[in-house]
Amino acid sequence: MSAAQELSVPLARPRAGLPGSGGVALAIVVLLWLVAAISPLCARRAAEIRLEERLASPSATHPFGTDDLGRDLLARVVVATPISLAIGLTAAAVSVLVGFAVGASAGYFGGVTDLVLSRLVEVVLCFPVLFLLLALAAFLPPSPTAVILAIGLTTWPGDARYARAEVLKVKDLDYARAARAAGASAPRILIRHLLPNILPPLLVSAAFGVAWAILAEAALSFLGVGLPASTTSWGGILAAAPTYIEEAWWMALFPGLALFLTVAAYNLLAEGLRSRTVGRGRG
Amino acid sequence: MIRYTLRRLALAVPTLAGIVVLVFLLLHLAPGSPVSAMGAESGRRVSARAAEEMRRQYGLDRPLPERFGAWIGRIARLDLGESFVDRRPVGERIREALPYTLLLNGLALLLTLGIAIPLGVAAGGRPEGPLDRVSGVALFALYSLPSFWAALLLQALFSVRLRWLPLYGVASDSAPTGLGGLLDRLEHLALPVVCLTYGSLAFFARLVRSGVAEMRQQDFVLAARARGASARRALWAHAFRNALLPLITLLGLVLPGLLSGSVIIEKIFAWPGVGRLYFDSILARDYPVVLALSLLGAVATLAVTLAADLAYALADPRVRDGTEAR
Repeated sequence: MSAAQELSVPLARPRAGLPGSGGVALAIVVLLWLVAAISPLCARRAAEIRLEERLASPSATHPFGTDDLGRDLLARVVVATPISLAIGLTAAAVSVLVGFAVGASAGYFGGVTDLVLSRLVEVVLCFPVLFLLLALAAFLPPSPTAVILAIGLTTWPGDARYARAEVLKVKDLDYARAARAAGASAPRILIRHLLPNILPPLLVSAAFGVAWAILAEAALSFLGVGLPASTTSWGGILAAAPTYIEEAWWMALFPGLALFLTVAAYNLLAEGLRSRTVGRGRG
Repeated sequence: MIRYTLRRLALAVPTLAGIVVLVFLLLHLAPGSPVSAMGAESGRRVSARAAEEMRRQYGLDRPLPERFGAWIGRIARLDLGESFVDRRPVGERIREALPYTLLLNGLALLLTLGIAIPLGVAAGGRPEGPLDRVSGVALFALYSLPSFWAALLLQALFSVRLRWLPLYGVASDSAPTGLGGLLDRLEHLALPVVCLTYGSLAFFARLVRSGVAEMRQQDFVLAARARGASARRALWAHAFRNALLPLITLLGLVLPGLLSGSVIIEKIFAWPGVGRLYFDSILARDYPVVLALSLLGAVATLAVTLAADLAYALADPRVRDGTEAR
């Protein structure tokens, strides 16, 4: 996890100051999904164990080298792409959904509801993210669902704070008051009237959330409490790297590079989205 | 200020209660019991009778509310219980590990602020200038760099290839005493400190930069320049000092971040701090240690956040009078 420091402060991410980078980021993300789409083609090659070629350094036949079982690393890195992307997306979705439900209710109803829900958010934010994440991931049986839940259920407080602040900004605008006067129910106002108007900032938060979730999954799998060993993932491949750090640097370099590129692309995409939604291109 | 302090303290009480309940529930509703983990660890099956015996011994056969009551009672007496693994008091194990983590994170924090502040002020003082552009790209890259990958690459380069620095550990077995021993320890600290520093560095430098970039156009900074203050003074004494204020509240969030980072870095570099203690305890289902560390981490964070909020209110009267919506 990229120094989890900043990750526990999702509200306060500073601007990158990289103009025009949103398009580049989008291109990389699209490319990654294309790689994920064709990855089944590499499945056989990724699973092929050849002990006589174990720990072979990068060459023309194995551009990324081979791992401790002689499997082609390039194929394994490609095969691991869809699971990382999918977990990142779903975990971020869980986080945003829970965060929106809690944060928007707190902001909309105010009063005691706000007091109680805001305390709840504060309670979860007090814990080191990785402490909670490890506990959940280690105590649930290892599966993609467990990883998604563990990540989503530890990161929602950031999204909740964000949603609360956004709802507070719009809940007394004329269109919301008109809907209330017309007799619309609270859930209807929140979902039909307020949500579409605060969607852009929520999407920015979600895009950062995807980058975070991909990183978190890799960290969990690296530590051995994430995806089951039978699932090929970047973090899982990296988990074997420390053992062979003396003889096979490529086992550390390439899976991590894929992870880094993916996380950077989503972060950059989020920055691009933000500069569009916030508008004011100051600084 | 007294009213604000009291109100802020009153809000912290339910949060503290929430922390205690959450810690307890999280671990006691979890499916993997310490007894089954012990069986798996030792590689042999624990017989049903032995497992039952162990459960009774550790009070795991009691109903949840009763265990919760017993736990609260012990916490109130600052008794953190005994570790399941080696039967030693949990407090003792944490006290042993804590100095290692404080040393590692203290150095990382000093290094972070020492680099982030001058860099952020210089970059924010001339937005879109060469330094701002170069540091913007570099900091963004560092911001997205997974720390465990960075750690592996640094090990491969500096420890394996160049043989300049040790791969992991706190000190060499054959380390000399005195100055040589100190040097040996510093060599062991170098890579973990770098890995813990760069992420928070990227975060803080960009915050300082955007704060200063925003402040430098404010009337009071321009007025200072008009009164004849040097550009340097206007930047540091006026723009930076005011940009610093909102940063105070963020310091409260630094602590959980550092603890999180410590888990991974201490594991990779075999550093015997609380991060690794937590991770090992999770794997061993050593509930008392996990409970105690989660509780201490969250309570410490709550305390630092509270202190940061109060410091902010002390520095900015608008906050305590509620004239500025926060």
